[in-house]
Amino acid sequence: MAKSGLQKDVLHLYRRALRMVRTKPETVQPKFRIFIRHEFRTNASKVSPRNVSFIEHLLRKGTRQIEQYEDAGVKDCFVSQEMVDWNKTQPDFKRGR
Amino acid sequence: MQSIFTAARSTHLALGRRAFSSTTRRWQAVPQEKPVLMKEFKIYRWNPDEPEKKPELQSYKIDLNQTGPMVLDALIKIKNEIDPTLTFRRSCREGICGSCAMNIDGQNTLACLCRIERNGGKNTKIYPLPHMYVVKDLVPDMTLFYKQYKSIQPWLQNDNPPEKGICSLLRFFRDLDCEFLQSPEDRRKLDGMYECILCACCSTSCPSYWWNQDSYLGPATLMQAYRWIADSRDSKAAERMDRLQNEMSLYRCHTIFNCKSYMHTYHFSSRTCPKGLNPAAAIASIKLEMAAD
Repeated sequence: MAKSGLQKDVLHLYRRALRMVRTKPETVQPKFRIFIRHEFRTNASKVSPRNVSFIEHLLRKGTRQIEQYEDAGVKDCFVSQEMVDWNKTQPDFKRGR
Repeated sequence: MQSIFTAARSTHLALGRRAFSSTTRRWQAVPQEKPVLMKEFKIYRWNPDEPEKKPELQSYKIDLNQTGPMVLDALIKIKNEIDPTLTFRRSCREGICGSCAMNIDGQNTLACLCRIERNGGKNTKIYPLPHMYVVKDLVPDMTLFYKQYKSIQPWLQNDNPPEKGICSLLRFFRDLDCEFLQSPEDRRKLDGMYECILCACCSTSCPSYWWNQDSYLGPATLMQAYRWIADSRDSKAAERMDRLQNEMSLYRCHTIFNCKSYMHTYHFSSRTCPKGLNPAAAIASIKLEMAAD
């Protein structure tokens, strides 16, 4: 299916975020991955795909956030119990990588 | 019991005499109340936590006689007493931090320097700075603005710092870096530019900036660029001007003059800069210097 520009933007951001995870220390990578997936998946299910202005707002917010996380000084992130529980309900995508 | 009563009465009377009031009651009189002067404020509201709701104007009515004179006082009163969810930036409340820049009755200005119009019949509309992404209510996203400011490298650059020990009479200080000296005339060139507090009122009033935010630097940033070009202590003026030498960064300024302060204009009364500065003049000076190069 052909994707709209907005969908591509979101996917680009998701890809960039997942690539950011791989620059972090191996021990904390699963934490970062849970955080990123939780953020994207919950927002995706919460927002109507027609609410373009809000998705654009989330994109701007996400870009700003990821720019900060990409900083080499960031070596860990906080994952709440809620996120961990949510992650257990998700299918396991190649979590080892 | 009797003695306590008389004692209390006599102190009352004594106090009354001292305050030039004839009776105790008069002495305790409450100050005269001012009449109620209600005014309506219509404020832009948008909450990112409620994505289904579109942005809207919310109306608040407050008594002006119970409020300070400035729009920021009214906003703080509304936030304190009516609606704690109202969101806006504020810090110094005296026009030196530039946090409370917003669009009040169609003018970009600082809420803390803008008097409330006391004409009761009219309402006042308050919006965030125009053409900026909104974070929440009256809070705009300034990321790009600060990034642009950073891109002009707003710090002193000079490869030949003054020699150590020359300006210091005391041997003790000879190892410290010496200060850059500047003549009063050179210092005077910076007047009208160094006062800028980067509130972004001028940049967001500029149509050129609205349409080309990504590539045009905007009046506030350009004025700061010229502040460093004009500084006699800075030796990198040529490099600074080289960086502006393209179609967009500087030359998107089409002398629209929305950024000008009313103190410098006589026909139009666009009074954008709350500090009374004139970014348009600084931009004109950069253009002149770059053309003369």
